[in-house]
Amino acid sequence: MFKYIARRILFLLPVLVGVSFIVFSLLYITPGDPARMVLGDQATEEAVQEFRNKEGLNDPFLVQYGRYVYKAIQGDIGRSYMTRRPVSDEILSAFPSTIKLAALSMVIAILLGIPFGIISAIRQYSLFDSVTMIFAMVGLSMPVFWLGILLILFFSVQLRWLPSSGFDSLAAMILPSITLAAQSVAIVTRMTRSSMLEVVRQDYIRTARAKGQKESVVIWRHALGNALIPVVTVVGLQFGHLLGGAVLTESIFSIPGVGRLMVEAIKMRDYPLVQGGVLYIAIAFSLVNLLVDLVYAWVDPRIKAQYK
Amino acid sequence: MKGNSRTKATLLAVSAAVLLCLFAVPALAKDTLVVANIYDARTLDPIVQNEVATSGMCLHIYDTLLALDQENNLVPMLAEKWEQIDDVTYKFALRKGVKFHNGEPFSAKDVKYTVERAQTPVGSAIRQYSEVVDKVEIVDDYTVIFKLKAPFTPFLMSLSHTWGSIVNQKAVEAAGESYGMNPVGTGPFKFKSWNKGDRIVLERNDDYWGKKPAYKELVMRAVAESINRTIELESGAVDIAYRVPVTDIKRVEENEKLTLYRHLENSTSYMGFNCAKAPWDNPKVRQAVRLALDNVGMQKAVFRGTGRAPNAPVAPSVKYSDKDIPYVKRDVEAAKKLLAEAGVQLPLKAEIWTNDYKPRRDLATIIQAQLKEVGIEVEHKVLEWGAYLDGLQKKTHDMYILGWVASVPDAEFAISGVLRSTGGSNYSFFSDAEVDALLEKGKSLPDGEERAAVYKKVQERIHELAPWVYMYNEETFHGSQKNVKGFVPSPRGYHLLTNVTFE
Repeated sequence: MFKYIARRILFLLPVLVGVSFIVFSLLYITPGDPARMVLGDQATEEAVQEFRNKEGLNDPFLVQYGRYVYKAIQGDIGRSYMTRRPVSDEILSAFPSTIKLAALSMVIAILLGIPFGIISAIRQYSLFDSVTMIFAMVGLSMPVFWLGILLILFFSVQLRWLPSSGFDSLAAMILPSITLAAQSVAIVTRMTRSSMLEVVRQDYIRTARAKGQKESVVIWRHALGNALIPVVTVVGLQFGHLLGGAVLTESIFSIPGVGRLMVEAIKMRDYPLVQGGVLYIAIAFSLVNLLVDLVYAWVDPRIKAQYK
Repeated sequence: MKGNSRTKATLLAVSAAVLLCLFAVPALAKDTLVVANIYDARTLDPIVQNEVATSGMCLHIYDTLLALDQENNLVPMLAEKWEQIDDVTYKFALRKGVKFHNGEPFSAKDVKYTVERAQTPVGSAIRQYSEVVDKVEIVDDYTVIFKLKAPFTPFLMSLSHTWGSIVNQKAVEAAGESYGMNPVGTGPFKFKSWNKGDRIVLERNDDYWGKKPAYKELVMRAVAESINRTIELESGAVDIAYRVPVTDIKRVEENEKLTLYRHLENSTSYMGFNCAKAPWDNPKVRQAVRLALDNVGMQKAVFRGTGRAPNAPVAPSVKYSDKDIPYVKRDVEAAKKLLAEAGVQLPLKAEIWTNDYKPRRDLATIIQAQLKEVGIEVEHKVLEWGAYLDGLQKKTHDMYILGWVASVPDAEFAISGVLRSTGGSNYSFFSDAEVDALLEKGKSLPDGEERAAVYKKVQERIHELAPWVYMYNEETFHGSQKNVKGFVPSPRGYHLLTNVTFE
């Protein structure tokens, strides 16, 4: 098991090299001069050249990339052009908000999505099922910014129960988490339902029922375990995705998260921050995937046997 | 059954938690001023960035040698007295008994250090202000002499910009590269905490040499969504909200708990021609396009009656703005005649570029329609900001809409960067020997009638050659609670909050 984990973490290295090379190339060919963006429109031509020389932006592409990799290996991924702070500090200061938001909305998605999916599946075509599926459809197709603004209008402006922006108290986290969770709840519900429906038609479920097992044990012990695997995959992908920041939700609620940081960095051509941010997202995504694979093993002993 | 009771328990626990949180929100005491800004400052090092959020914070943490009052007159700050000895030499008598937030006494060596530091690559963003200084000489602990490289009249005024915030060598060196997060000044507020992207908290400097603020803490929040700033203001969560959008001003104005503030900015936005490219290199073609456009009417329509249509390149709140230049009335026939005189083959195809800012997109659409009437077929391209600036430097554009801020409210700062042939943001590639010569002269003349006459001539000459069609002087709106008094927004775009009181 540990060998497996170590091997997976080692696999991260080629991923990171590949990702950083792609990002570096994309930034290189994107129009826009970081010196002009950072120094502002009042800057003189000499100041722009001075900045480009200082940051090595006049060097050939491969020299710049080589220097970046060389420094990154030593643990230095550069300083933000805008703030002059180390990129790692910038990302670390945005990270807590992002992980809180992602975790809260995943908790909501799991707590609501899995039970709703199960009930919908065992009561297929019932009223509950139809209503749940309609809500899931609405949740899936509702734009995040629209839902967010509606929630603000209702809970912050009309009722004045919850703050409309910020992320410093639990009260302030409620609206953004619900906004962000809406789609995940819908996805998890639908996934759980269809996966359950498939499993309850399997022969071994019929066998379990035939031997007189109680229905709740059939569902919870025999069906759910097998039905959960695709759900774990979806939840993992969603969570990995959310760790990369939720730009819209963060913007609507003024949350200082990774998504907004990245968009701002791209807009301002803050190359070191964009590169560092993408590396962070790649690492987060890979680690969540690894975690998902480990959860498979925990849910399904057959898979565990393969992890040598 | 069992599952049911568990669900109930969970529900109860969750609602209890929610209720607890609601009551746990701390009540804001009256000695805290909470302001919603449009975005977070990028650094608190006054020379690393030249943008309004950074300047707005530095203004409170640091002092400059001189400041400007509402009428653009110089007032003493850390310099108690100043005199011009000859056309490149200025002498300052410094305030005694001033202490930095780290306890260090303020003296002449801090001034020298501040300027010399600003001239290193750390200060690239503010080089246009610091580069005029040749050297700073220390006469004694409380007297310094500035020697300029060449005469530069707006120099004293430029010292009031936050680039001139006096820093302390010990504090800068102690913090090293993280100085931007650990600022130390002599200003009315001390740095307390910074939650990046969310809020900066400053606390009152009780040892301040000047008038101390009436409240203890200044909280500057970054609320990027304009809707949210209005909502936070309406719900009372903030005392002042910067930049209320035009669509919300009625709501703020009609709300009896709120006060609306409005002011013009020190900026002029314009539609520029690429004067380095045919047929726009011909002034007649530029004048013809200007005649074909109703710039006053489109400004009114796009900005819903707020702001102002400019008549000159220098904004009205900036020194030496020419108020006498007449507006050009739309005259389609005259425009056609001029185009024929210039020998332009119609229909002429051209592009107009803008960035993705709604008013500019709307203006471009109107321009497109009005130019079609004289036979110019315009294609509108919307570009992302970085790509836009990059494209403009490649000289391939025809027309474009852009703005320019006079970061120091003097005509020199309003014109030279954009319309002098050597200007760093001269994207119209306008080059006129007479304008260049006049600007060179205006820079060094002492303030007075002669200098005023020079800038009048410059603006008339620019009007004649028409490198720009003036589009708008934007008006900015801010809102506050009714009990907030003494908030006076500045056309510079960053505002002094030291005098704010609660009623």
